[in-house]
Amino acid sequence: MPSLYRLHRAALCAAVFGIAAISTASAEEIIIGAATAQTGGLAPYDQPALAGLRMSLDELNAKGGLGGKYTVKLLIKDTRSDTAQTATVAQELIDAGAKIMITPCDADPSISAGQLTQPLGIPTLTLCGSAPVLTGAVGDVMFGTYPADNVQATAVADFAVSEGKKKVFLLTSPDSTYTANLPEYFGKVFEKKGGAIVGRGTFSMGQPDFSAEITNIKGLADKPDLIMTAAYEPDFPAFIQQLRGAGVTIPVYGADAIGTPTIKALGKLVDGVVYTAAGYAEPGSKLEAFNAAFTKYAGHAPESTYEVNGYEIGLILDQAVKTAGSDDPKAIRDAIAGLKDFEGITGKITYAGTDRMPLRPVALMRYEGGEGKHVQTLIPDAADVPAP
Amino acid sequence: MIAQQIINAVSLGGVYALLALGLAIVFSIVGLINFAHGELMTLSGYALLASLVLGFPFPVAVLVAVSCGALAAVAMERIAFRPMRGASVTSLLLTSFAVSSLLKVVFQNGISARPQAVAMPGWMTGAFSFGDFTIGVGPSISIVVSALALIALEVFLRRSVTGTAMRAAAEDFDVVRLMGIPASRIIATAFLLSGLLAGLAAILWVAQRASVDPLMGFTPVLKAFIAAVVGGLGSLPGAVAGGFLLGIIEVLLQATLPGAIAPYRDAIVLSGVIAVLLVRPQGLIPAVRAQRS
Amino acid sequence: MLSVEALKIRYGEVEAVRRVDLTVGSGEIIALVGANGAGKSSTLGAVAGLVPAASGKVVFDGVDITGLAPEAIARKGVALVPEGRRIFASLTVADNLRLGGAVHQPAAEARLREEEMLELFPILRRYHRVKGGNLSGGEQQMLAIARALMGKPRMILLDEPSLGLAPQLIDTVFDLIAELRRKGLTILLVEQNVALALEIADRAVVLANGEVVLAGTAKELASSDLVRQAYLGA
Repeated sequence: MPSLYRLHRAALCAAVFGIAAISTASAEEIIIGAATAQTGGLAPYDQPALAGLRMSLDELNAKGGLGGKYTVKLLIKDTRSDTAQTATVAQELIDAGAKIMITPCDADPSISAGQLTQPLGIPTLTLCGSAPVLTGAVGDVMFGTYPADNVQATAVADFAVSEGKKKVFLLTSPDSTYTANLPEYFGKVFEKKGGAIVGRGTFSMGQPDFSAEITNIKGLADKPDLIMTAAYEPDFPAFIQQLRGAGVTIPVYGADAIGTPTIKALGKLVDGVVYTAAGYAEPGSKLEAFNAAFTKYAGHAPESTYEVNGYEIGLILDQAVKTAGSDDPKAIRDAIAGLKDFEGITGKITYAGTDRMPLRPVALMRYEGGEGKHVQTLIPDAADVPAP
Repeated sequence: MIAQQIINAVSLGGVYALLALGLAIVFSIVGLINFAHGELMTLSGYALLASLVLGFPFPVAVLVAVSCGALAAVAMERIAFRPMRGASVTSLLLTSFAVSSLLKVVFQNGISARPQAVAMPGWMTGAFSFGDFTIGVGPSISIVVSALALIALEVFLRRSVTGTAMRAAAEDFDVVRLMGIPASRIIATAFLLSGLLAGLAAILWVAQRASVDPLMGFTPVLKAFIAAVVGGLGSLPGAVAGGFLLGIIEVLLQATLPGAIAPYRDAIVLSGVIAVLLVRPQGLIPAVRAQRS
Repeated sequence: MLSVEALKIRYGEVEAVRRVDLTVGSGEIIALVGANGAGKSSTLGAVAGLVPAASGKVVFDGVDITGLAPEAIARKGVALVPEGRRIFASLTVADNLRLGGAVHQPAAEARLREEEMLELFPILRRYHRVKGGNLSGGEQQMLAIARALMGKPRMILLDEPSLGLAPQLIDTVFDLIAELRRKGLTILLVEQNVALALEIADRAVVLANGEVVLAGTAKELASSDLVRQAYLGA
């Protein structure tokens, strides 16, 4: 029984060189805790982002770890898409020694985890949570990584105005920060640039009956030429299905959460729907190379830009540890906060001068014939972006 | 516009009625609120998706989906609930929660946590127009299917021996057995019917939401439960009345509440439910049950 | 035809029946009498399969039926008319009758049987489309008996048929029992009205505290001092 024997000898060694062995291990290893949804409503967003992060950490570990020095041990725990459960697993990860925390793609669970990491000074990054209020609600350890809702909304509004749209109907849901605020940010920019909000409607997340709201839209005296919503799965498919089913052909615009295979698979139903992404893989771009590498790594092509965003989180951490020159959480935090024009895969990423929601490019996409077509990529003018 | 909102309300109410009826049928016989009823819907939804992906014609896909729901319900009774027969109401309830959670995990891990788009045929997303007035094909189908299902069920319960035995069993199960009618036949039929209703409701539900996902059964089973309680738990006419009432209230509130109050819609609906129960604690149409010492 | 041997029934810690032995011959009426809580209904329940026996045996027609499901026992030709009648209140008289005979015979035969029952109980013909719950107590008792007879049982177990009925109705019910016996039906009758039961029965068994305290022909028992003092108030 060779394996047992080896185990025995290893135990003996550990006993003899106990203290020394433990201290060397901690000097070379850095634990990153990932409190992410493997099940439930956020899983479709967290899982691709986490896959990207894993890929970059695997690559970095092969080159010696973060900053070429600290081998990453990634501990992953399932939040089940539940805010309270996120806090529980975040605590478990902290207890396990996490020096960096990764949180789900949504503001509420990220804030609940951030409230635990903030007093300890552990830098905390949301995978693709994009609510601009997210970082302010926690404090200086909390970082967004994805283009913030107000940045995305400004990009979409800029585009709508450039298309000559004049009147918008905003469909929101009070059930999440994202669905409640993003269309309102759009409305602010749109009004400032000469557009008008002709109506507002609400929906409850997870309830597929939109018939009453759609009848209201049809009955509007002042017909909108655009519907803006941040609804996503499973609400967005239900909305667009029933909207088109009721014979309403008004274009519908949304944001990043509808850039998914599920929405794309709706085919003709979503023709003309505009959404956003963290980047677009132009031929010869770094993103295209990433997509190829990811496909090789994961066995399937990236589903969205959440994969590359997750991958860039690894790059950001690597750069931060390099700058900090240590695995001290506070030093790493300061290094992230000071990043300026960092070359990611999708473009330049800047934290310096922001409230920890990065400035980075937004790609505008449009579904046509069952495919997401790139429309344009832009970094909105900071002056246009509404305050959170 | 008012006429359209009424159609919307009846259409939604019909789906709730089918769901509530599925819960009520099983409850009336075995005293179990089957919270895994929603997962029967999910299963039917996936069966519909699979059939469409395999290229079956739409009517065949619907048939496959509905049969899957019905068979799964019977299997669920056989595997999970039959061994628990005679157990307390609480144990049965917990068993149904366990079945529900288990199936959700199986769907998540076996299929995908991500919603899968279901492409319903084009004609189902069209609309009829009469001058100014348009009615969606979807809501119309929903109303017709609900009505036909309710009529078919009523005929079955009134005319057939098994149906009559089920109505009797809802009142006094032991005496039905004294008539020589096997308990397992009654219970299996109750689950079969509830599965059929779940399958039908799933088709209507999926036609509306255009996707299926592992958690899609949660909201409908909750609505069905509310409708069944409002109507009178275990009463079949009550379940239908409760379903329509809930659908109508939800749509009318959504249509008329001013924006500032709209987020409280569900709270208002539930307050209404409490009000109904305060006035009629046994529900709108209480179930008949044998009075025994 | 039926024999109950050393039957014991427990509800949790409580022993409802300690030991009951009795036999019912073909075509006999046996009365099972005793005070409230003596274990009469539990014994009937055990014969019909509604109540599990803790130990002992129930043999019908030479076949051990202990522990069989109620539906299986019913199919062997044993029909129980439960205490309190327990007709289906929300079903019509017609549906109540229909369920009674549903599994025992083909549909055409069941219709003939129903016609026989309506002959035997004219009141049920009158209320054929009325819901069971709207009948009076006596009418419900008739319905309960007719429903049990629908399956052409070879033996009928009657649990307190006189309970809650007006005196003249009690007479009607007992006349009917006598009539059924003339037609050759075997009857096990549980009755609190001991005088009435002894009048109609061939033999009787007296239960007290879950045990048989006395058994014999109805005549013997009617003249026994114990029965006269304890149950006949003489």
